[in-house]
Amino acid sequence: MFRFPNLAWPKRILMALALAVLLASSGLIAKPKPAGHYGYGKAATAAEIAGWDIDIRPDGRGLPDASGSVEDGEMLYEDQCAACHGSFGEGVGRYPVLAGGEGTLTEARPEKTVGSFWAHTSTLFDYIRRAMPFTQPSSLSAEDTYAITAYVLYLNDLVEDDFVLSKETFAEVAKLPNHGNFTPDPRPDVDAKRCMKNCKDPASVRITSEPTILAEEVAEDTPVKAASPQEQGAEVYNGACAVCHNQGVAGAPKLGDKADWEKRLSAGEETLIKHAIEGFQGQSGFMPAKGGRMDLSDTAVAEAVKFMLAESIN
Amino acid sequence: MRQKKVEELDKLVSSIATAGDKLPTVERRQFLSQGLSMLGGAAAMVAGGTALAATTSKYAPPNVPPWTKTLGQGVIADPYGVPSPFESNVVRRNVPWLTADRIASISFTPLADLKGIITPSGLVFERYHAGRPEIDPDEHHLMIHGMVDRPIILTMDDLMKFPSTSMIRFLECPANGGMEWRGAQMTKLQFTHGMLSCCEWTGVLLSTILAEVGVNKGASWILAEGADGALMSRSIPMEKALDDALIVYAQNGEALRREQGYPIRLINPGWEGNTCIKWLRRLEIGDSPYYQREETSKYTDLMPDGTAREFTFVQESNSVVTTPSPENPLKGKGKYWLEGLAWSGRGKIKAVDVSLDGGINWRPARLTGMIEPRALTRFGMEWDWDGSPALIQSRSIDETGYVQPTYTQLRAVRGSSSIYHKNAIHTWRLHADGSVTNVQIS
Ligand code: HEC
Ligand code: HEC
Repeated sequence: MFRFPNLAWPKRILMALALAVLLASSGLIAKPKPAGHYGYGKAATAAEIAGWDIDIRPDGRGLPDASGSVEDGEMLYEDQCAACHGSFGEGVGRYPVLAGGEGTLTEARPEKTVGSFWAHTSTLFDYIRRAMPFTQPSSLSAEDTYAITAYVLYLNDLVEDDFVLSKETFAEVAKLPNHGNFTPDPRPDVDAKRCMKNCKDPASVRITSEPTILAEEVAEDTPVKAASPQEQGAEVYNGACAVCHNQGVAGAPKLGDKADWEKRLSAGEETLIKHAIEGFQGQSGFMPAKGGRMDLSDTAVAEAVKFMLAESIN
Repeated sequence: MRQKKVEELDKLVSSIATAGDKLPTVERRQFLSQGLSMLGGAAAMVAGGTALAATTSKYAPPNVPPWTKTLGQGVIADPYGVPSPFESNVVRRNVPWLTADRIASISFTPLADLKGIITPSGLVFERYHAGRPEIDPDEHHLMIHGMVDRPIILTMDDLMKFPSTSMIRFLECPANGGMEWRGAQMTKLQFTHGMLSCCEWTGVLLSTILAEVGVNKGASWILAEGADGALMSRSIPMEKALDDALIVYAQNGEALRREQGYPIRLINPGWEGNTCIKWLRRLEIGDSPYYQREETSKYTDLMPDGTAREFTFVQESNSVVTTPSPENPLKGKGKYWLEGLAWSGRGKIKAVDVSLDGGINWRPARLTGMIEPRALTRFGMEWDWDGSPALIQSRSIDETGYVQPTYTQLRAVRGSSSIYHKNAIHTWRLHADGSVTNVQIS
């Protein structure tokens, strides 16, 4: 499957490994296991390992003892996922599409989703648990992860609305439709030759494509050292606040939503700045202190709030 | 860089009168007249297009610039040194429309301004999936467990006690150039090839750590996992772990940068950058791949028949001309040092050829500087440009005999939907006015 042209394995280590394997398998090592050659670090206890060993494998190894239903998943998904991935998994803006796309893999613009492209349900459970929701990773309980995973399967028409996902029912849905369509790496797969003279007919040399977008439209971002407070506000907003306030994630007031911001401003700019710096539990959701970016100075957050107000109200 | 330089030059030129004021009368007259005649002379030279280098500098010999006649900054003016303000344009940049936000996003190395093969740590492209975490090294732990005799937890102090190794290796995102599969799209070298860097990496061989924990029989894959908000994770085959995979704590002679995984990351030399897990917190030894999101949904290569290749680890040989390039246009006909970078995930670069006519005829370039396996390698060539338009290409050949393919050859096998591993011969179109644009040709 892989090519390793220059296997320069450290021979001593290999021999040590082989020896270790031999000793272990022949039962020659008395318990407790002796320290390694160097003996650095501490032995990891079962409890320590359990706290970090979060991965789920294709056969379901690693799944926690819990369960969650499509029904419960719907509400959780609407609350915690839909702002970015859309209520139907269609994706908002440039956020990933989670459902649909079946039969598009051979098209010019393939849509790769859980239903159309992924191979294993374990990957979905594992990824949601490790990395989502985007702004609050590692925050979902085992039950909620089961429920949301079940709901994403439902959005892809892979289970019925009464399905309950658990360690036990996992096997029924372990393989996703595109399972089996992944192949090992065959490279090098292109056999180019090193020709030096008259390698092709000069008449055949044509320009087949050039960038059609003007350089300015491509808007390649040069992060300039913010000169003015306004520029600093925009910079902080883009780096630390846009992730929630652009789409209205988790109940955040959207940039440009004049009505919402005017209502909030009636409490006074100072209050809004205070809430942004110290964090704020409001009617629509929870605003983490400094958007979770404790490295930002109070002034930087204040400039971001002023920028948000200026963009939304004027 | 250029615009900035012109402005700075203007400033210096306007200060010439001031400098002149301070000179004794005779010298002053001489100073001013020489300055003026130099300007005139320079203009004439440019117009005439003579072979002699033209300069508009007021401080060219025999004049003496003001910095020679004053004192400069004392030591520790910058306790941590930074580049000259004249280089302020040499920075990483991003392309906002590529990603939804800057937190799960990528920035690009300014390849056009770099020399040699080492990428300065602060210019190495960034790739985050949940932003860059701020990690206190005293609070960082690496856990190694799974199919081992002795699961252990290492602190940074523990890790530093193991034998240390250094190697110069490139680091490339497999999506480098991925925006160009369907056609030329990006307008600058920074964006066509800038998910690329090369550093000296220092740390402990993964094989050393594996010997320490005692790997069980039947173990064949390792899950590597980061401590960032994405708990970024990839499965690494045991062969690579025992070959040259390195747990890295230093980069270019100093502690690893935060962007690169401070305090530790994995480096799998020559392999997809994504496998080189940053902020490394956990290694689990197992008997099969873990099928993480980053090795099924992403970092698999979709083929025209709808199947996808998985675990396509190696970054095959690639090359690009860095001068001339859109960022480094030519200033009129004459002699130049054409140069570029070549690399291969399979080993050393053996040769690089350059074509000026869109691949009809090729000539070997010179490999300059160090030639390390799985490292960036510089090539260059003297070139007397006659001022006519050209289609400039480079083609690398690595020590396995692999020859960098054309777009036509690559697409014939892989179509154009695979996103990753685009290593086709790149074409710069040099226009008669010396400007350079990105094109693809048949
Ligand atoms: C603030 C926006 C946001 C929210 C809210 C959010 N996500 Fe995501 N999601 C993202 C981004 C951004 C990515 C891609 C991350 C990357 O590139 O590494 C992603 C990726 C994913 C993917 C992988 C998609 C693919 O094709 O590989 C899944 C599955 C997913 N999210 C599920 C969820 C679920 C379930 C929730 C709710 C619990 C959720 N997300 C909430 C932004 C969000
Ligand atoms: C993780 C998502 C998230 C991030 C990141 C975030 N916010 Fe918020 N923000 C919210 C939510 C949710 C609310 C709404 C709270 C409510 O009123 O229920 C909110 C509300 C606000 C308000 C209005 C407070 C009020 O009193 O009505 C301000 C001002 C604000 N955010 C500023 C910021 C700034 C500045 C940043 C970046 C430094 C930021 N936010 C980053 C989620 C976020």
